Amino acid sequence: MGIKRNPVWSFFSSVQLTLVLLAVLAVLAVVGTLVPQQESAQELAKRLSPGTIRILATLQIFDLYHSVWFLLAMGLLTANLVVCSINRFPASWRRFKAEASAEEHLFRDLPPEHTAYVKGTRDEIVTRAEQALHRRYRDVRRTDVSRGPVLHGQKGRITHLGVYAVHLGVLLIIAGGVAGSLFGFDAYVHIGEGETATTADLAGGKGQHSLGFGIRCDRFLIETYENGMPKTYRSDLTFLKDGRPALQGALLVNHPLTFEGIRFYQSSYGQSADGKARLSYSRKGGDRKDEAVTLGESFALPDGEGTVQVLRVEENMMQMGPAVKIGVRSGRGAVQFWVFQEIERIREGNPGLFEQVPLFNPGLFAPYVFSLRGIDARYYTVLKAATDPGVPLVAAGGLFLVAGLLLVFIVDHRRVWVLVEEAKGKVRVAVTGRGLRTSAGLDRELAELIRVFREKGDAQG
Amino acid sequence: MISAKILSWVTFVYFASFTGYLIGLIRGRDRWARLASWCAAAGLLAHTAALLLRWRESYALGMGHAPLSNLYESLVFFAWAVVFLYLLVEWRTRNRTPGVFVVPVAFLLMAYASISPGVSDRIQPLIPALQSNWLTSHVITCFMGYAAFTVAFGLAILHLIKNRKKPGRNPSRFFALIPDEDDLEELLYQSVLLGFIFLTLGIITGSVWAHYAWGAYWSWDPKETWSLVTWVVYAALLHARFVRGWRGRRLAVLALVGFAAMLFTYLGVNYLPSLHAYM
Repeated sequence: MGIKRNPVWSFFSSVQLTLVLLAVLAVLAVVGTLVPQQESAQELAKRLSPGTIRILATLQIFDLYHSVWFLLAMGLLTANLVVCSINRFPASWRRFKAEASAEEHLFRDLPPEHTAYVKGTRDEIVTRAEQALHRRYRDVRRTDVSRGPVLHGQKGRITHLGVYAVHLGVLLIIAGGVAGSLFGFDAYVHIGEGETATTADLAGGKGQHSLGFGIRCDRFLIETYENGMPKTYRSDLTFLKDGRPALQGALLVNHPLTFEGIRFYQSSYGQSADGKARLSYSRKGGDRKDEAVTLGESFALPDGEGTVQVLRVEENMMQMGPAVKIGVRSGRGAVQFWVFQEIERIREGNPGLFEQVPLFNPGLFAPYVFSLRGIDARYYTVLKAATDPGVPLVAAGGLFLVAGLLLVFIVDHRRVWVLVEEAKGKVRVAVTGRGLRTSAGLDRELAELIRVFREKGDAQG
Repeated sequence: MISAKILSWVTFVYFASFTGYLIGLIRGRDRWARLASWCAAAGLLAHTAALLLRWRESYALGMGHAPLSNLYESLVFFAWAVVFLYLLVEWRTRNRTPGVFVVPVAFLLMAYASISPGVSDRIQPLIPALQSNWLTSHVITCFMGYAAFTVAFGLAILHLIKNRKKPGRNPSRFFALIPDEDDLEELLYQSVLLGFIFLTLGIITGSVWAHYAWGAYWSWDPKETWSLVTWVVYAALLHARFVRGWRGRRLAVLALVGFAAMLFTYLGVNYLPSLHAYM
């Protein structure tokens, strides 16, 4: 047992160290939530001097959860947990394996409700007590002391081992986290509608990864509730192996898809810049002319009367449907206004709208009248691609953690003793018990046990 | 909505219950406290009915989800869990004094839910991230944990009060009604352990959910991080008592620190950018 005198060992076997490390972890986590981390730190960086940033970056304040500090604290805690558990385990094991010892002092000063005088011979009563105990306790033993035989039952010894299940759970979770960060794969795939991606961008700007298969986004769909809250984000995907479709499916939030061992999640989306607005215009009474323009593009009106530029494209402008904002430059100056697709419906719902909001009048550049026939918006979808070999370890750790805590909380190590002695020519039964925790349950159990003897019509003591 | 109306009445019932516990403690009469218990139980019954009603109402509105999805619903469920667990403890221990410090928390939660302009009591549909069967188990376990910590908080305050009693002086009726220090501590420990189990389950169900929704069981989101901080504080409390043999005052103070961390995890995190912010 030389190891226990080793200063390193004794350092790690201290629970004070545990408390300090837990406090350090808590403080680091608090700092990590107050100081923006990783990408979000760039906003903060604009407001700080380069010197300050350099110091903070060296201290790894902006990536605290992967910093040396955090890893050090976690490492120390792991060592601490292992050493403490090893140190304390033998004592717990002894308590777990402990045989009953029946000492007479247990029966000193018992309250009267824990004793009863019972009719019958001593051997009969012992048998009856044995039966009663066996019904409640798996582990029943008999010891003879000078006053008579003592029967001893116990249950719930396993509770002494619960804390080690908890510690094992924590260790498994840490191991799973390490395995995940070492061998896990974490990347993002951007795919425009109708396009096929074969590579993924590794998280943290660590370059590109060739997937070895293709993912085609056949369609991206957003649905909203009536109040405008998002209802569905959905990518219809086709996975292509050697150019041939191998798997087709819809990817939604909370419904990932797995292909070739990589799990894909709906992560984000956006609109491609090359979505075209289909505009038409006519001079009063003249022919209708069509144009299809992307955001920022412009086209010329006939006879050099002006140029029209698309300034904004909105899928759903103020809950009134698709709209584009256009700017017209001409010899008369510049004018900007919105053109809605569902102009008739809006006009019916809001009489006098164009008088109130001239900006919504599609005829603001008279004598031309503009209309929007549709927006060919093209979305792109962003998928997260991930594999994490640590997940089974973490899951097992979680199970151990909860099972161990339940063992500690729910199971009580209870021991009861029944003394059967001859007194005043009668047989007297005395019961007593110990629980790891003070609880009303044990008292109930003892009361029930003594009732077994009284119910048979025996005299009370 | 009938459910919202019932809930606003429940708020007053909890206030009445709190008043009863308070008078009971100050005047040293158990009769008042018993009345307060009945009041709290009646409130809990109506509270339960209102929650079930709101669940049904959400189906009638065509969005069908457990009433656990936004700040209002979480506050209401939190208050429910506090009263439920408290009455359970009261029934098990046959002591009504902790009610003075626990029931007002439920009242304040309910009052905040109904009065604060930032908290809408409308039933809203679920955004894509919340459309998961894990929502119910995650929210219920987390808030049962919070509720157990709230009970521990009430016990800790009682413990600190009892601790201030000068030895030797004749204890007043006030002090006589507070449970014995050892019993308080055992109860505090049991509440913390129960809360710890629920919080652990809450974190685990949350990570399982995140694993399906975002492809990472843990992403150091402020809410996640703060729930870890809360977990760590209570883990420290359990170790301090179990292994270091901390007793009494120091343990009660740790329970207060844990409660503060829990409150920040629940409400303070809304002021940090987070996936979990109730907006």
